[in-house]
Amino acid sequence: MLRSKITLKNVSLVYEDENTDFCAIKDINFSIKKGEFVSIIGPSGCGKSTLLNLMTGLNFPTDGCILIDGEQIKGTGTERGVVFQHYSLFPWMSAQKNLVFGLKQLHRNKSKKDLEEIADRYLSMVGLKDFKNKYPSQLSGGMQQRVAIARAFAMNPSILLMDEPFGAVDAKNRVILQELLLKLWDNGSEKKTVILVTHDIDEAILLSDRIIVMSASPGTVKEEINIDFERPRERSSLIKSVKYTNLRNKLVNLFYDDLIEKIGGAEVVI
Amino acid sequence: MKKLLSATGVLFLLALLLELIPEKREGIIPLYYITVVAFLGLLYILIAVFSKNKEKVETVGDVTAIILGLLIVWELATAKFDLLDKLLFPAPSVVFELFVSEWKELLKGLVSSLELLFGGYVLALLVAIPLALFIGWRKRLYRAVKPLTKVLGPIPTIVYIPYTIALLPTFKASSIFVIFIGAFWPIFINTLNGVFNVEKKIVDSAKAINVNERAMLFNVILPAAMPSIISGATIGLVLSFILLTAAEMIGATSGLGWYVKYFSDFADYPRVIVGIIFIGIVVTGITFLFDKIEGYLLRWRR
Repeated sequence: MLRSKITLKNVSLVYEDENTDFCAIKDINFSIKKGEFVSIIGPSGCGKSTLLNLMTGLNFPTDGCILIDGEQIKGTGTERGVVFQHYSLFPWMSAQKNLVFGLKQLHRNKSKKDLEEIADRYLSMVGLKDFKNKYPSQLSGGMQQRVAIARAFAMNPSILLMDEPFGAVDAKNRVILQELLLKLWDNGSEKKTVILVTHDIDEAILLSDRIIVMSASPGTVKEEINIDFERPRERSSLIKSVKYTNLRNKLVNLFYDDLIEKIGGAEVVI
Repeated sequence: MKKLLSATGVLFLLALLLELIPEKREGIIPLYYITVVAFLGLLYILIAVFSKNKEKVETVGDVTAIILGLLIVWELATAKFDLLDKLLFPAPSVVFELFVSEWKELLKGLVSSLELLFGGYVLALLVAIPLALFIGWRKRLYRAVKPLTKVLGPIPTIVYIPYTIALLPTFKASSIFVIFIGAFWPIFINTLNGVFNVEKKIVDSAKAINVNERAMLFNVILPAAMPSIISGATIGLVLSFILLTAAEMIGATSGLGWYVKYFSDFADYPRVIVGIIFIGIVVTGITFLFDKIEGYLLRWRR
Protein backbone atom coordinates (compact mmCIF):
# COMPACT_ATOMS: atom_id res chain seq x y z
CA MET A 1 0.00 0.00 0.00
CA LEU A 2 2.89 2.32 0.60
CA ARG A 3 4.66 2.20 -2.70
CA SER A 4 3.51 4.61 -5.32
CA LYS A 5 2.04 2.79 -8.28
CA ILE A 6 1.42 5.73 -10.56
CA THR A 7 3.23 9.04 -10.33
CA LEU A 8 2.58 12.15 -12.38
CA LYS A 9 5.31 14.77 -12.31
CA ASN A 10 4.57 18.22 -13.74
CA VAL A 11 2.49 16.73 -16.50
CA SER A 12 1.41 19.26 -19.11
CA LEU A 13 -0.11 18.83 -22.53
CA VAL A 14 -0.14 21.60 -25.10
CA TYR A 15 -1.86 21.18 -28.43
CA GLU A 16 0.04 23.16 -30.99
CA ASP A 17 -2.08 24.81 -33.60
CA GLU A 18 -0.87 26.98 -36.46
CA ASN A 19 -1.09 30.21 -34.52
CA THR A 20 -2.21 29.47 -31.01
CA ASP A 21 -1.11 26.88 -28.52
CA PHE A 22 -3.92 25.33 -26.56
CA CYS A 23 -2.92 24.19 -23.11
CA ALA A 24 -5.16 21.24 -22.28
CA ILE A 25 -3.61 20.35 -18.94
CA LYS A 26 -0.96 22.08 -16.94
CA ASP A 27 1.46 21.01 -14.24
CA ILE A 28 -0.38 18.06 -12.86
CA ASN A 29 1.27 16.37 -9.92
CA PHE A 30 -0.09 13.47 -7.97
CA SER A 31 0.78 9.96 -7.08
CA ILE A 32 -1.43 6.99 -6.57
CA LYS A 33 -0.58 4.18 -4.23
CA LYS A 34 -0.76 0.56 -5.15
CA GLY A 35 -4.27 -0.73 -4.58
CA GLU A 36 -5.74 2.71 -4.21
CA PHE A 37 -9.10 3.64 -5.72
CA VAL A 38 -8.98 7.21 -6.98
CA SER A 39 -11.68 9.19 -8.74
CA ILE A 40 -11.05 12.23 -10.87
CA ILE A 41 -13.92 14.67 -11.12
CA GLY A 42 -14.24 18.08 -12.68
CA PRO A 43 -16.32 20.08 -15.12
CA SER A 44 -16.35 19.07 -18.76
CA GLY A 45 -13.33 20.39 -20.61
CA CYS A 46 -11.07 20.19 -17.58
CA GLY A 47 -8.92 17.61 -19.30
CA LYS A 48 -9.79 14.63 -17.15
CA SER A 49 -10.26 12.34 -20.14
CA THR A 50 -7.11 13.75 -21.71
CA LEU A 51 -5.26 12.94 -18.52
CA LEU A 52 -6.57 9.39 -18.58
CA ASN A 53 -5.44 9.03 -22.21
CA LEU A 54 -1.96 10.06 -21.14
CA MET A 55 -1.94 7.44 -18.42
CA THR A 56 -3.22 4.89 -20.93
CA GLY A 57 -0.29 5.72 -23.17
CA LEU A 58 -2.33 6.72 -26.20
CA ASN A 59 -0.84 10.20 -26.07
CA PHE A 60 2.24 11.68 -24.48
CA PRO A 61 2.66 14.75 -22.30
CA THR A 62 4.49 17.69 -23.86
CA ASP A 63 6.10 18.29 -20.51
CA GLY A 64 6.65 16.27 -17.37
CA CYS A 65 6.44 12.52 -17.07
CA ILE A 66 4.20 9.69 -15.98
CA LEU A 67 5.76 6.82 -14.05
CA ILE A 68 4.27 3.42 -13.42
CA ASP A 69 6.13 1.33 -10.86
CA GLY A 70 8.87 3.92 -11.12
CA GLU A 71 9.26 3.63 -14.87
CA GLN A 72 8.25 6.15 -17.46
CA ILE A 73 5.51 4.83 -19.73
CA LYS A 74 6.30 4.42 -23.39
CA GLY A 75 2.85 3.55 -24.69
CA THR A 76 0.05 1.22 -23.77
CA GLY A 77 0.82 -1.71 -21.55
CA THR A 78 -0.69 -5.01 -20.48
CA GLU A 79 -0.61 -3.99 -16.83
CA ARG A 80 -3.17 -1.30 -17.62
CA GLY A 81 -6.77 -2.05 -18.60
CA VAL A 82 -8.95 0.66 -20.06
CA VAL A 83 -12.68 1.26 -20.23
CA PHE A 84 -13.44 4.18 -22.52
CA GLN A 85 -16.34 6.55 -22.29
CA HIS A 86 -17.46 5.64 -25.80
CA TYR A 87 -18.28 2.00 -26.29
CA SER A 88 -14.97 0.73 -27.46
CA LEU A 89 -16.06 -2.67 -28.72
CA PHE A 90 -15.21 -3.94 -32.17
CA PRO A 91 -18.52 -3.88 -34.02
CA TRP A 92 -17.68 -6.86 -36.25
CA MET A 93 -17.11 -9.18 -33.30
CA SER A 94 -19.79 -10.72 -31.10
CA ALA A 95 -19.70 -9.86 -27.40
CA GLN A 96 -17.85 -13.10 -26.65
CA LYS A 97 -15.42 -12.60 -29.55
CA ASN A 98 -14.62 -9.12 -28.25
CA LEU A 99 -13.52 -10.61 -24.95
CA VAL A 100 -11.71 -13.53 -26.54
CA PHE A 101 -9.85 -11.18 -28.89
CA GLY A 102 -8.71 -9.11 -25.93
CA LEU A 103 -7.66 -12.20 -23.98
CA LYS A 104 -5.80 -13.61 -26.97
CA GLN A 105 -3.47 -10.62 -26.94
CA LEU A 106 -2.50 -11.59 -23.40
CA HIS A 107 -2.50 -15.35 -23.46
CA ARG A 108 -1.02 -16.37 -26.77
CA ASN A 109 -0.75 -20.06 -25.92
CA LYS A 110 -4.13 -20.68 -24.34
CA SER A 111 -6.63 -22.65 -26.36
CA LYS A 112 -9.67 -21.02 -27.86
CA LYS A 113 -11.88 -23.06 -25.58
CA ASP A 114 -10.10 -21.83 -22.46
CA LEU A 115 -10.38 -18.24 -23.58
CA GLU A 116 -14.07 -18.66 -24.34
CA GLU A 117 -14.57 -20.06 -20.88
CA ILE A 118 -12.94 -17.02 -19.28
CA ALA A 119 -14.97 -14.74 -21.56
CA ASP A 120 -18.23 -16.46 -20.60
CA ARG A 121 -17.40 -16.19 -16.93
CA TYR A 122 -16.89 -12.44 -17.14
CA LEU A 123 -19.91 -11.96 -19.39
CA SER A 124 -22.09 -13.65 -16.82
CA MET A 125 -20.59 -11.40 -14.14
CA VAL A 126 -22.00 -8.39 -15.98
CA GLY A 127 -25.23 -10.30 -16.62
CA LEU A 128 -24.83 -10.71 -20.35
CA LYS A 129 -24.09 -14.38 -20.83
CA ASP A 130 -27.24 -14.86 -22.89
CA PHE A 131 -26.10 -12.10 -25.21
CA LYS A 132 -22.66 -13.49 -25.92
CA ASN A 133 -23.34 -14.16 -29.59
CA LYS A 134 -24.86 -10.74 -30.26
CA TYR A 135 -23.02 -8.08 -32.19
CA PRO A 136 -22.56 -4.68 -30.49
CA SER A 137 -25.11 -3.14 -32.89
CA GLN A 138 -27.68 -5.54 -31.45
CA LEU A 139 -27.01 -4.40 -27.88
CA SER A 140 -28.09 -1.23 -26.11
CA GLY A 141 -25.50 1.39 -25.17
CA GLY A 142 -25.50 0.27 -21.56
CA MET A 143 -25.08 -3.37 -22.54
CA GLN A 144 -22.20 -2.51 -24.84
CA GLN A 145 -20.50 -0.71 -21.99
CA ARG A 146 -20.99 -3.74 -19.74
CA VAL A 147 -19.27 -5.90 -22.36
CA ALA A 148 -16.42 -3.37 -22.51
CA ILE A 149 -16.12 -3.49 -18.73
CA ALA A 150 -16.17 -7.28 -18.79
CA ARG A 151 -13.37 -7.20 -21.36
CA ALA A 152 -11.23 -4.92 -19.21
CA PHE A 153 -11.85 -7.05 -16.10
CA ALA A 154 -11.25 -10.33 -17.92
CA MET A 155 -7.78 -9.20 -18.90
CA ASN A 156 -7.05 -8.83 -15.19
CA PRO A 157 -4.73 -5.82 -15.29
CA SER A 158 -3.16 -4.46 -12.11
CA ILE A 159 -4.30 -0.95 -13.04
CA LEU A 160 -7.78 -0.10 -14.26
CA LEU A 161 -8.27 3.20 -16.03
CA MET A 162 -11.93 4.04 -16.48
CA ASP A 163 -13.35 7.03 -18.30
CA GLU A 164 -16.95 7.65 -17.22
CA PRO A 165 -17.65 3.96 -17.63
CA PHE A 166 -21.16 4.05 -16.19
CA GLY A 167 -22.31 7.24 -17.87
CA ALA A 168 -24.57 5.46 -20.34
CA VAL A 169 -25.72 2.68 -18.03
CA ASP A 170 -29.17 2.91 -16.48
CA ALA A 171 -29.51 3.54 -12.73
CA LYS A 172 -30.14 -0.07 -11.71
CA ASN A 173 -27.31 -1.55 -13.71
CA ARG A 174 -25.04 1.27 -12.61
CA VAL A 175 -25.39 0.19 -8.99
CA ILE A 176 -24.79 -3.44 -9.96
CA LEU A 177 -21.70 -2.50 -11.94
CA GLN A 178 -20.36 -0.27 -9.19
CA GLU A 179 -20.66 -3.16 -6.73
CA LEU A 180 -19.03 -5.44 -9.26
CA LEU A 181 -16.19 -2.98 -9.74
CA LEU A 182 -15.59 -2.89 -5.98
CA LYS A 183 -15.68 -6.66 -5.81
CA LEU A 184 -13.17 -7.04 -8.61
CA TRP A 185 -11.01 -4.28 -7.24
CA ASP A 186 -10.63 -6.09 -3.94
CA ASN A 187 -10.83 -9.74 -4.95
CA GLY A 188 -8.85 -11.16 -2.08
CA SER A 189 -5.23 -11.54 -3.07
CA GLU A 190 -4.12 -8.18 -4.35
CA LYS A 191 -6.05 -4.99 -4.80
CA LYS A 192 -6.01 -3.39 -8.21
CA THR A 193 -5.19 0.26 -8.62
CA VAL A 194 -8.20 2.04 -10.05
CA ILE A 195 -8.50 5.48 -11.58
CA LEU A 196 -12.06 6.41 -12.34
CA VAL A 197 -12.99 9.54 -14.25
CA THR A 198 -16.57 10.49 -13.50
CA HIS A 199 -18.89 13.45 -13.26
CA ASP A 200 -21.10 11.69 -10.75
CA ILE A 201 -20.15 13.04 -7.31
CA ASP A 202 -22.05 10.33 -5.42
CA GLU A 203 -20.35 7.63 -7.42
CA ALA A 204 -16.97 9.16 -6.63
CA ILE A 205 -17.68 9.30 -2.88
CA LEU A 206 -19.14 5.81 -2.71
CA LEU A 207 -16.29 4.13 -4.53
CA SER A 208 -13.09 6.03 -3.88
CA ASP A 209 -10.33 6.27 -1.34
CA ARG A 210 -9.47 9.66 -2.69
CA ILE A 211 -11.04 12.18 -5.04
CA ILE A 212 -8.99 14.46 -7.24
CA VAL A 213 -10.94 17.54 -8.23
CA MET A 214 -9.83 19.26 -11.41
CA SER A 215 -10.62 22.70 -12.75
CA ALA A 216 -10.73 23.78 -16.34
CA SER A 217 -8.73 25.90 -18.79
CA PRO A 218 -6.09 24.91 -18.34
CA GLY A 219 -6.81 21.63 -16.63
CA THR A 220 -5.15 21.58 -13.23
CA VAL A 221 -5.61 19.75 -9.97
CA LYS A 222 -7.71 21.92 -7.73
CA GLU A 223 -7.95 19.78 -4.66
CA GLU A 224 -7.49 16.27 -3.39
CA ILE A 225 -9.91 14.92 -0.87
CA ASN A 226 -9.47 11.72 1.10
CA ILE A 227 -12.58 9.68 1.60
CA ASP A 228 -12.19 7.70 4.78
CA PHE A 229 -15.55 5.98 5.09
CA GLU A 230 -15.05 2.44 6.19
CA ARG A 231 -15.46 -0.36 3.75
CA PRO A 232 -17.61 -2.14 2.84
CA ARG A 233 -19.74 0.94 2.45
CA GLU A 234 -23.43 0.63 2.93
CA ARG A 235 -24.99 2.82 0.30
CA SER A 236 -28.28 3.71 1.98
CA SER A 237 -26.93 4.50 5.46
CA LEU A 238 -23.94 6.35 4.06
CA ILE A 239 -26.07 8.73 2.07
CA LYS A 240 -28.03 9.68 5.19
CA SER A 241 -24.97 10.54 7.30
CA VAL A 242 -24.05 14.15 8.03
CA LYS A 243 -20.46 13.54 7.11
CA TYR A 244 -21.56 12.40 3.69
CA THR A 245 -23.76 15.45 3.18
CA ASN A 246 -20.96 17.82 4.18
CA LEU A 247 -18.52 16.08 1.89
CA ARG A 248 -20.97 16.14 -0.94
CA ASN A 249 -21.67 19.86 -0.48
CA LYS A 250 -17.99 20.59 -0.44
CA LEU A 251 -17.48 18.71 -3.68
CA VAL A 252 -20.47 20.31 -5.35
CA ASN A 253 -19.09 23.73 -4.46
CA LEU A 254 -15.67 22.84 -5.80
CA PHE A 255 -17.24 21.38 -8.88
CA TYR A 256 -19.35 24.37 -9.75
CA ASP A 257 -17.01 27.13 -8.57
CA ASP A 258 -15.40 27.23 -11.92
CA LEU A 259 -18.66 27.43 -13.70
CA ILE A 260 -20.00 30.29 -11.64
CA GLU A 261 -16.80 32.26 -11.93
CA LYS A 262 -16.83 31.81 -15.65
CA ILE A 263 -20.31 33.07 -16.15
CA GLY A 264 -19.35 36.15 -14.16
CA GLY A 265 -20.57 35.49 -10.66
CA ALA A 266 -24.20 35.40 -11.67
CA GLU A 267 -26.27 32.69 -10.07
CA VAL A 268 -26.49 29.62 -12.16
CA VAL A 269 -29.56 27.48 -12.24
CA ILE A 270 -28.69 23.92 -12.94
CA MET B 1 -57.19 -17.71 -54.99
CA LYS B 2 -57.70 -13.98 -54.73
CA LYS B 3 -53.97 -13.53 -55.08
CA LEU B 4 -53.98 -15.19 -58.48
CA LEU B 5 -56.64 -12.81 -59.79
CA SER B 6 -54.19 -9.94 -59.42
CA ALA B 7 -52.53 -8.10 -62.29
CA THR B 8 -50.02 -10.92 -62.56
CA GLY B 9 -52.75 -13.51 -62.97
CA VAL B 10 -54.61 -11.47 -65.55
CA LEU B 11 -51.47 -10.85 -67.58
CA PHE B 12 -50.58 -14.51 -67.36
CA LEU B 13 -53.94 -15.56 -68.83
CA LEU B 14 -53.71 -12.81 -71.43
CA ALA B 15 -50.23 -13.95 -72.46
CA LEU B 16 -51.55 -17.48 -73.03
CA LEU B 17 -54.83 -16.44 -74.69
CA LEU B 18 -52.81 -14.49 -77.26
CA GLU B 19 -51.89 -17.80 -78.79
CA LEU B 20 -55.43 -18.10 -80.15
CA ILE B 21 -54.53 -15.33 -82.59
CA PRO B 22 -52.92 -16.84 -85.67
CA GLU B 23 -49.29 -15.94 -86.42
CA LYS B 24 -48.68 -13.39 -89.14
CA ARG B 25 -45.04 -14.29 -89.46
CA GLU B 26 -44.04 -17.66 -90.85
CA GLY B 27 -41.92 -20.46 -89.47
CA ILE B 28 -42.52 -19.70 -85.83
CA ILE B 29 -42.89 -22.46 -83.26
CA PRO B 30 -45.13 -20.87 -80.58
CA LEU B 31 -44.31 -23.67 -78.15
CA TYR B 32 -41.16 -21.81 -77.02
CA TYR B 33 -43.10 -18.67 -76.17
CA ILE B 34 -45.75 -20.70 -74.34
CA THR B 35 -43.11 -22.60 -72.39
CA VAL B 36 -41.45 -19.40 -71.17
CA VAL B 37 -44.81 -17.87 -70.17
CA ALA B 38 -45.82 -21.08 -68.40
CA PHE B 39 -42.45 -21.23 -66.65
CA LEU B 40 -42.83 -17.66 -65.38
CA GLY B 41 -46.36 -18.38 -64.19
CA LEU B 42 -45.32 -21.57 -62.46
CA LEU B 43 -42.37 -19.86 -60.76
CA TYR B 44 -44.65 -17.16 -59.42
CA ILE B 45 -47.25 -19.64 -58.17
CA LEU B 46 -44.57 -21.70 -56.44
CA ILE B 47 -43.19 -18.64 -54.66
CA ALA B 48 -46.67 -17.40 -53.79
CA VAL B 49 -47.58 -20.76 -52.26
CA PHE B 50 -44.37 -21.52 -50.40
CA SER B 51 -43.06 -18.14 -49.27
CA LYS B 52 -44.34 -16.74 -46.00
CA ASN B 53 -42.95 -13.29 -46.67
CA LYS B 54 -45.93 -11.33 -47.97
CA GLU B 55 -43.92 -8.42 -49.24
CA LYS B 56 -41.59 -10.69 -51.17
CA VAL B 57 -44.51 -12.48 -52.86
CA GLU B 58 -45.94 -9.11 -53.80
CA THR B 59 -42.65 -7.96 -55.31
CA VAL B 60 -42.11 -11.20 -57.21
CA GLY B 61 -45.66 -10.87 -58.52
CA ASP B 62 -45.07 -7.31 -59.70
CA VAL B 63 -41.79 -8.21 -61.37
CA THR B 64 -43.44 -11.17 -63.08
CA ALA B 65 -46.27 -8.89 -64.23
CA ILE B 66 -43.81 -6.44 -65.80
CA ILE B 67 -41.91 -9.22 -67.58
CA LEU B 68 -45.17 -10.75 -68.82
CA GLY B 69 -46.32 -7.33 -70.04
CA LEU B 70 -43.11 -6.87 -72.03
CA LEU B 71 -43.40 -10.39 -73.43
CA ILE B 72 -46.98 -9.75 -74.56
CA VAL B 73 -46.00 -6.51 -76.33
CA TRP B 74 -43.05 -8.27 -77.94
CA GLU B 75 -45.16 -11.23 -79.09
CA LEU B 76 -47.92 -8.98 -80.46
CA ALA B 77 -45.59 -6.61 -82.28
CA THR B 78 -43.64 -9.43 -83.93
CA ALA B 79 -45.21 -12.86 -84.26
CA LYS B 80 -48.87 -11.87 -84.16
CA PHE B 81 -49.19 -8.59 -86.07
CA ASP B 82 -45.72 -8.25 -87.62
CA LEU B 83 -45.53 -4.51 -86.93
CA LEU B 84 -41.74 -4.38 -86.77
CA ASP B 85 -38.91 -5.22 -89.12
CA LYS B 86 -38.48 -8.96 -89.20
CA LEU B 87 -34.68 -8.90 -89.40
CA LEU B 88 -34.14 -6.46 -86.55
CA PHE B 89 -36.90 -7.68 -84.26
CA PRO B 90 -37.22 -11.46 -84.13
CA ALA B 91 -40.25 -13.00 -82.39
CA PRO B 92 -39.87 -14.31 -78.82
CA SER B 93 -40.17 -17.92 -79.93
CA VAL B 94 -37.33 -17.50 -82.39
CA VAL B 95 -35.07 -16.14 -79.67
CA PHE B 96 -36.05 -18.76 -77.10
CA GLU B 97 -35.60 -21.52 -79.64
CA LEU B 98 -32.05 -20.29 -80.22
CA PHE B 99 -31.36 -20.45 -76.48
CA VAL B 100 -32.03 -24.16 -76.68
CA SER B 101 -30.04 -24.83 -79.82
CA GLU B 102 -27.18 -22.52 -78.89
CA TRP B 103 -26.66 -23.48 -75.27
CA LYS B 104 -23.37 -25.21 -75.91
CA GLU B 105 -21.97 -22.16 -77.66
CA LEU B 106 -23.25 -19.90 -74.89
CA LEU B 107 -21.73 -22.06 -72.21
CA LYS B 108 -18.41 -22.08 -74.01
CA GLY B 109 -18.57 -18.31 -74.26
CA LEU B 110 -19.46 -18.08 -70.58
CA VAL B 111 -16.47 -20.16 -69.51
CA SER B 112 -14.15 -18.12 -71.67
CA SER B 113 -15.57 -14.83 -70.33
CA LEU B 114 -15.49 -15.90 -66.71
CA GLU B 115 -11.85 -16.87 -67.08
CA LEU B 116 -10.99 -13.34 -68.08
CA LEU B 117 -13.36 -11.71 -65.61
CA PHE B 118 -12.24 -13.63 -62.56
CA GLY B 119 -8.63 -13.62 -63.65
CA GLY B 120 -8.55 -9.83 -63.76
CA TYR B 121 -10.96 -9.13 -60.93
CA VAL B 122 -9.57 -11.57 -58.39
CA LEU B 123 -6.05 -10.42 -59.21
CA ALA B 124 -7.17 -6.83 -58.56
CA LEU B 125 -8.68 -7.82 -55.20
CA LEU B 126 -5.56 -9.72 -54.20
CA VAL B 127 -3.22 -6.87 -55.09
CA ALA B 128 -5.28 -3.78 -54.24
CA ILE B 129 -6.55 -4.73 -50.77
CA PRO B 130 -3.24 -5.74 -49.11
CA LEU B 131 -1.40 -2.88 -50.81
CA ALA B 132 -3.97 -0.30 -49.69
CA LEU B 133 -4.01 -1.79 -46.21
CA PHE B 134 -0.28 -1.45 -45.96
CA ILE B 135 -0.17 2.10 -47.37
CA GLY B 136 -3.30 3.47 -45.68
CA TRP B 137 -2.02 2.48 -42.27
CA ARG B 138 1.18 4.49 -42.70
CA LYS B 139 0.11 8.11 -42.61
CA ARG B 140 3.14 9.47 -44.43
CA LEU B 141 2.96 6.91 -47.20
CA TYR B 142 -0.77 7.57 -47.49
CA ARG B 143 -0.21 11.28 -47.98
CA ALA B 144 2.34 10.54 -50.68
CA VAL B 145 0.21 8.01 -52.56
CA LYS B 146 -3.12 9.84 -52.31
CA PRO B 147 -2.30 12.55 -54.94
CA LEU B 148 -1.03 9.85 -57.30
CA THR B 149 -4.31 7.98 -57.10
CA LYS B 150 -6.12 11.20 -57.95
CA VAL B 151 -4.19 11.48 -61.21
CA LEU B 152 -4.05 7.82 -62.23
CA GLY B 153 -7.39 6.64 -60.91
CA PRO B 154 -9.73 8.63 -63.16
CA ILE B 155 -8.01 7.68 -66.45
CA PRO B 156 -10.65 5.65 -68.32
CA THR B 157 -9.22 2.16 -68.52
CA ILE B 158 -10.45 1.66 -72.07
CA VAL B 159 -7.64 3.92 -73.30
CA TYR B 160 -5.14 1.30 -72.14
CA ILE B 161 -6.60 -1.42 -74.36
CA PRO B 162 -4.67 -0.76 -77.62
CA TYR B 163 -1.40 -0.26 -75.76
CA THR B 164 -1.93 -3.35 -73.66
CA ILE B 165 -2.65 -5.45 -76.73
CA ALA B 166 0.64 -4.26 -78.21
CA LEU B 167 2.47 -4.83 -74.95
CA LEU B 168 1.34 -8.29 -73.95
CA PRO B 169 1.80 -11.48 -75.99
CA THR B 170 -1.74 -12.86 -76.02
CA PHE B 171 -5.23 -11.45 -76.14
CA LYS B 172 -6.07 -13.30 -72.97
CA ALA B 173 -3.21 -11.77 -71.05
CA SER B 174 -4.01 -8.27 -72.21
CA SER B 175 -7.74 -8.62 -71.40
CA ILE B 176 -6.97 -9.87 -67.92
CA PHE B 177 -4.55 -7.00 -67.46
CA VAL B 178 -7.07 -4.40 -68.61
CA ILE B 179 -9.76 -5.79 -66.32
CA PHE B 180 -7.19 -5.85 -63.54
CA ILE B 181 -6.39 -2.15 -64.00
CA GLY B 182 -10.05 -1.20 -64.27
CA ALA B 183 -10.98 -3.03 -61.08
CA PHE B 184 -7.78 -2.13 -59.26
CA TRP B 185 -8.31 1.61 -58.89
CA PRO B 186 -11.75 1.70 -57.29
CA ILE B 187 -10.82 -1.15 -54.94
CA PHE B 188 -7.46 0.41 -54.11
CA ILE B 189 -8.78 3.95 -53.58
CA ASN B 190 -11.76 2.84 -51.50
CA THR B 191 -9.69 0.54 -49.34
CA LEU B 192 -7.10 3.27 -48.87
CA ASN B 193 -9.73 5.76 -47.72
CA GLY B 194 -11.44 3.14 -45.59
CA VAL B 195 -8.20 2.31 -43.81
CA PHE B 196 -7.21 5.93 -43.36
CA ASN B 197 -10.62 6.85 -41.99
CA VAL B 198 -10.99 4.03 -39.47
CA GLU B 199 -12.44 5.66 -36.38
CA LYS B 200 -9.86 6.74 -33.86
CA LYS B 201 -11.77 5.13 -31.04
CA ILE B 202 -11.46 1.74 -32.73
CA VAL B 203 -7.71 2.16 -33.12
CA ASP B 204 -7.44 3.43 -29.55
CA SER B 205 -9.31 0.52 -28.05
CA ALA B 206 -7.14 -1.87 -30.06
CA LYS B 207 -4.04 -0.15 -28.73
CA ALA B 208 -5.45 -0.24 -25.22
CA ILE B 209 -5.64 -4.04 -25.37
CA ASN B 210 -2.09 -4.13 -26.73
CA VAL B 211 -2.66 -5.76 -30.10
CA ASN B 212 0.48 -6.36 -32.12
CA GLU B 213 1.03 -4.88 -35.58
CA ARG B 214 -0.30 -7.94 -37.41
CA ALA B 215 -3.48 -8.24 -35.37
CA MET B 216 -3.99 -4.49 -35.73
CA LEU B 217 -3.86 -4.71 -39.53
CA PHE B 218 -5.75 -7.93 -40.14
CA ASN B 219 -8.10 -8.23 -37.16
CA VAL B 220 -8.88 -4.56 -36.59
CA ILE B 221 -8.15 -2.28 -39.55
CA LEU B 222 -9.23 -4.74 -42.26
CA PRO B 223 -12.69 -5.50 -40.82
CA ALA B 224 -13.17 -1.86 -39.81
CA ALA B 225 -12.48 -0.78 -43.41
CA MET B 226 -14.61 -3.60 -44.85
CA PRO B 227 -17.63 -1.42 -45.73
CA SER B 228 -15.39 0.82 -47.86
CA ILE B 229 -13.62 -2.17 -49.36
CA ILE B 230 -16.94 -3.72 -50.36
CA SER B 231 -18.17 -0.53 -52.02
CA GLY B 232 -14.89 -0.32 -53.94
CA ALA B 233 -15.20 -3.98 -54.90
CA THR B 234 -18.74 -3.37 -56.20
CA ILE B 235 -17.61 -0.52 -58.46
CA GLY B 236 -14.66 -2.66 -59.54
CA LEU B 237 -16.96 -5.52 -60.47
CA VAL B 238 -19.23 -3.31 -62.60
CA LEU B 239 -16.20 -1.85 -64.38
CA SER B 240 -14.87 -5.36 -64.94
CA PHE B 241 -18.08 -6.35 -66.75
CA ILE B 242 -17.84 -3.32 -69.01
CA LEU B 243 -14.16 -3.82 -69.75
CA LEU B 244 -14.59 -7.54 -70.30
CA THR B 245 -17.24 -7.05 -72.95
CA ALA B 246 -15.34 -4.16 -74.52
CA ALA B 247 -12.14 -6.19 -74.70
CA GLU B 248 -13.97 -9.19 -76.15
CA MET B 249 -15.65 -7.08 -78.79
CA ILE B 250 -12.32 -5.63 -79.84
CA GLY B 251 -10.08 -8.65 -80.12
CA ALA B 252 -11.43 -11.94 -78.83
CA THR B 253 -12.28 -15.14 -80.69
CA SER B 254 -14.55 -16.45 -77.95
CA GLY B 255 -16.58 -15.20 -75.03
CA LEU B 256 -19.95 -13.54 -74.63
CA GLY B 257 -18.90 -10.10 -75.87
CA TRP B 258 -17.36 -11.76 -78.90
CA TYR B 259 -20.56 -13.76 -79.47
CA VAL B 260 -22.67 -10.60 -79.70
CA LYS B 261 -20.15 -8.77 -81.84
CA TYR B 262 -19.54 -11.73 -84.18
CA PHE B 263 -23.20 -12.30 -84.99
CA SER B 264 -24.00 -8.63 -85.41
CA ASP B 265 -21.29 -8.58 -88.08
CA PHE B 266 -23.42 -11.14 -89.90
CA ALA B 267 -26.63 -9.23 -89.13
CA ASP B 268 -27.81 -12.31 -87.21
CA TYR B 269 -29.85 -10.27 -84.75
CA PRO B 270 -31.74 -13.15 -83.13
CA ARG B 271 -28.37 -14.47 -81.90
CA VAL B 272 -27.33 -10.96 -80.89
CA ILE B 273 -30.44 -10.72 -78.71
CA VAL B 274 -29.78 -14.18 -77.31
CA GLY B 275 -26.26 -13.04 -76.40
CA ILE B 276 -27.50 -9.84 -74.76
CA ILE B 277 -30.17 -11.62 -72.71
CA PHE B 278 -27.66 -14.28 -71.68
CA ILE B 279 -25.15 -11.63 -70.58
CA GLY B 280 -27.94 -10.06 -68.55
CA ILE B 281 -28.67 -13.36 -66.83
CA VAL B 282 -24.97 -13.99 -66.11
CA VAL B 283 -24.41 -10.51 -64.69
CA THR B 284 -27.50 -10.88 -62.50
CA GLY B 285 -26.20 -14.21 -61.23
CA ILE B 286 -22.78 -12.81 -60.37
CA THR B 287 -24.26 -9.73 -58.72
CA PHE B 288 -26.57 -11.94 -56.67
CA LEU B 289 -23.60 -13.99 -55.49
CA PHE B 290 -21.68 -10.80 -54.72
CA ASP B 291 -24.57 -9.44 -52.64
CA LYS B 292 -24.64 -12.68 -50.66
CA ILE B 293 -20.93 -12.39 -49.93
CA GLU B 294 -21.36 -8.73 -48.96
CA GLY B 295 -24.26 -9.61 -46.67
CA TYR B 296 -22.11 -12.22 -44.96
CA LEU B 297 -19.05 -10.00 -44.56
CA LEU B 298 -21.06 -7.08 -43.21
CA ARG B 299 -23.55 -9.12 -41.17
CA TRP B 300 -22.48 -7.20 -38.06
CA ARG B 301 -23.81 -3.93 -39.44
CA ARG B 302 -27.50 -4.80 -39.26
